[in-house]
Amino acid sequence: MSETLTGAQILCRELMAAGVDVIFGYPGGAIMPFYHALPEYPGLRHILVRHEQAAAHAADGYARASGRVGVCVATSGPGATNLVTGLATAHMDSSPVLAITGQVSRPMIGRDAFQETDIIGLTLPITKYNHLVQDVSELAASVRDAVKIALSGRPGPVLLDVPKDVQNQKAVYEPPPASPRAGAPGQLGAAPGLTPGASLGNTEEGIREAAQLIADAERPLLMIGHGVILGNAYAEVRALAEKTGIPVITTLLGISAFPESHPLHLGMPGMHGEVHVNRAIQHADLIVGIGLRFDDRVTGNVAAFAPRAKIVHIELDRAEIGKNIRVALGIVGDAREITRRLVQAVEPRNCEPWREEIQSFVRPRAEAFSGDLSPEAILASIYDVTGGRCTIVTDVGQHQMWVAKLFPYERANTHITSGGLGTMGFAVPAGIGVHVARPDESVWAISGDGGFQMNMAEIATMVQEGLSVKMAIFNNGYLGMVRQWQQFFHEKRYSCTPIWSPDYVKLAEAYGIAGWRVESRTQLGDVVQRANAHPGPALVEFVIAQEANVYPMIPPGGSLSEPIEAEPVAAPVV
Amino acid sequence: MALSHAISVLLDDDLLTFNRVIGVVRRRNLPISSITAGATQAPGVSRLTFIMQADEASADRLVRQIQKSFGVREAVMFPAANAVTREIALIRVRAPAGDRADLLGVVSQHEGSVVDEGPGSWIVEIAGAAARTESCIRALERFGILEIARSGSVAMRGADGSSPSPAPNNPSEAVL
Repeated sequence: MSETLTGAQILCRELMAAGVDVIFGYPGGAIMPFYHALPEYPGLRHILVRHEQAAAHAADGYARASGRVGVCVATSGPGATNLVTGLATAHMDSSPVLAITGQVSRPMIGRDAFQETDIIGLTLPITKYNHLVQDVSELAASVRDAVKIALSGRPGPVLLDVPKDVQNQKAVYEPPPASPRAGAPGQLGAAPGLTPGASLGNTEEGIREAAQLIADAERPLLMIGHGVILGNAYAEVRALAEKTGIPVITTLLGISAFPESHPLHLGMPGMHGEVHVNRAIQHADLIVGIGLRFDDRVTGNVAAFAPRAKIVHIELDRAEIGKNIRVALGIVGDAREITRRLVQAVEPRNCEPWREEIQSFVRPRAEAFSGDLSPEAILASIYDVTGGRCTIVTDVGQHQMWVAKLFPYERANTHITSGGLGTMGFAVPAGIGVHVARPDESVWAISGDGGFQMNMAEIATMVQEGLSVKMAIFNNGYLGMVRQWQQFFHEKRYSCTPIWSPDYVKLAEAYGIAGWRVESRTQLGDVVQRANAHPGPALVEFVIAQEANVYPMIPPGGSLSEPIEAEPVAAPVV
Repeated sequence: MALSHAISVLLDDDLLTFNRVIGVVRRRNLPISSITAGATQAPGVSRLTFIMQADEASADRLVRQIQKSFGVREAVMFPAANAVTREIALIRVRAPAGDRADLLGVVSQHEGSVVDEGPGSWIVEIAGAAARTESCIRALERFGILEIARSGSVAMRGADGSSPSPAPNNPSEAVL
C-alpha cells in the first residue's frame, strides 16, 4: 500500500523496517525535519547524548553487543564532524554502525553554507560505504543498501548524508522490492555484490591442506580474533581446539571468544601478552589464525614474528590475507563455516608434549603493584559480585590491558573495547550502547582517569534516559600508559602525563547518581556489591598505585622474544 | 627492484567511487606515475588505470583493497612490461623560425602529427607507448617547448594470453 510521506518519515519507516528500535543522536538545524517526524514513530527509541561522538560510540557498543546495526544521528557540520572518531573506531573494529547526518539543503551545498561540511569526503576512508542522498526518490533504497552493507560480509560503519530539503521532500512511499541491487559481482555492467571479497568459493582444497598442516605440525597454535565473535564461531573453534588439542590464543578483540578457564586457553599475545603466550608463538611451527588481521600490536616486529611457523590464515576479508604477514595458506571465508569444515577435515590428535613445553614457559605474573588495591583484586571483585554475568567495556590504556589479561571471561562476547583505533573516551558512551542492547545484565564501563574525563558528560545521558551503567575509574593520577612509555623509553620524563581529577564522588552527587571512592581492599567487595546492585547508574573510583605498570611489555617495533618483564633498572642520574 | 605495474579498475561512473578508489591508493603512499579515467563499452561503467612503481606483492595488496570499495566491479593488475600501454600527449612548441622541415621530421619520426599551427606556436600530437612520448619530448626540446599535456597511460593486458596476471577473483585456495 502506497502513501505520500516526507523524506524524514520515510527515513523513520525504513529504519523500523530494518529492525532498528533505538537511535543515539543529537538534533540540530539540518536534521530537524527528521526530529520533527520522530515522535510519530514511538517504536524508535531516541537516546539523547551530550556529544555526537558519544552517539557514534554508543551505536558501536550497541552493535557489538547485539549483532544488529547500531544507529546514530547528527546534524550537519559540527554534529557530523563530531561523529568522526566514533566512525573511525567502528571501522577499525569492523562494527556495523549506521550514521545518518543532516546536510544543508541541496541548493546550498558547495556554498560554505552555515553548518555545511563535506562529511562524505571526511568519512570516505573510515566508512565501508557512504552516500549523499540526492533525492527523496532514492532515500528508501539508500537506507536499505546502507544497512545491508553495514551488516554484510566484514561488517563496518556506513554513513548517509541527507540534505534538509530532501528530508522535507514528499514522495509516494511503498514497500520496496526485496533486492534493490542485482547483478553478479565481477561482471562488466553488473552492479557490485554487497559483500566484496566475501565469496566462500571452492575452499575444499584449502581446508584439506590446512588439515594436513595441522596433522604434520608438532607445535601448532590457534590464534583467534574478532572474526570469531562477529561470525558466531565459538562452538566451531572450540570443537577444533578440542579435537586437535591445539592451544588457543585470543587477540585483544578475540577475548571472550573462548572460555578463559578452558585448559587449552593460553591468553593474549603481543605487546602486553603473557610471556608464555609470546614464547609459544616464537616456538610454534604452525599458527592457524581465524578471523584476525595480525595487527602490529599482535606481531611486534613482523620480521621476527613466529620465525618457525607456517601460517594458515582463515579470514572473511581476503584483502587481509598476506597484508601484514606472509602466510603459507590463506582461506577466504566466514570463520564459522570454514572452521566447521576444518573440524570435519582434521584427524583427532593431541598436543601434549607441546602443551607441556608451553607450560615450562609460564612465568609468575610480573605486575608490580604497591598498595593492596591491585587491578587484579578490583577485577576479581567485579567478577565475584556479578558471578561473571556481566559485560565489561573498557577504554584505552593500562586498565584495558589489565582487564584483557586478568578478567576471567567465560561467556561469549562479553569483552568490548576499542582495539584497532585505541580510542580513549570509548568506554562510557559505548557502555551506554551495550546496556541498551543488554538491559538485563550488568554492564561495567571501566576507564582510566584520563579516558573517563573525555566523555564523562554522558553521565547526564544515563540519568535522563534511565540507563543503569556501572562506571569504574582506575585513578592513578596519570595518563598511565603514556607515563609507562615515558618511564621505559623517554628517560622517565613525565611530560604532560600527570592528570588532575575532580572529586568523582561529588561529581556523581552533582549528577544525582550513586558514587563511591575505594582506596583499600577492605572496602572493595562491599562497594562493588552495592554499585552493582544499585538500580541506576553508579560510579566507583578506584584509587590505585600511581606508577603501576603493565608487564610484560614488548617495546614498540620489538620482537616477541624480547619482553620487558620487570621494572627497568633506573638510568644513573648524572 | 620495483617494477612498473598497471592496475586496471572497472567502476561505477561517479565521482564518489573514483574518490573512494583514489583514496585507497593515496592512503598507502604508493608511487603512482599516472592515473587515467575513461569510458568503457558498458554504460555507467568507467575504467581507472594506474601505473605504479611497486613490486608484485604490493600491487596485489592494493588491488585487493580496491576490490573492497563499493562501486568497484573489477580490479586487476599486470606488469606494465607485459601489457599494451598507450598514452597521448599534446606538446606546444615555439613556431619554427625557418627550420620547418626539421621540426616536421622529428614529428614524423615519432609517428606524430602537427594538429594546430599558429604564428607563435605549434601543437604536436604524439600517441603511443610512454617511451615514444619521452623520446619525442627530448627531440623537441631544441625547438623550445612551451607546454605539455599528457593523458597518462591506458593499459590492457596482452592479447596472447601469456602476459596478464590478474589478481585471482576467487583465491579461496590461493597459496600465497
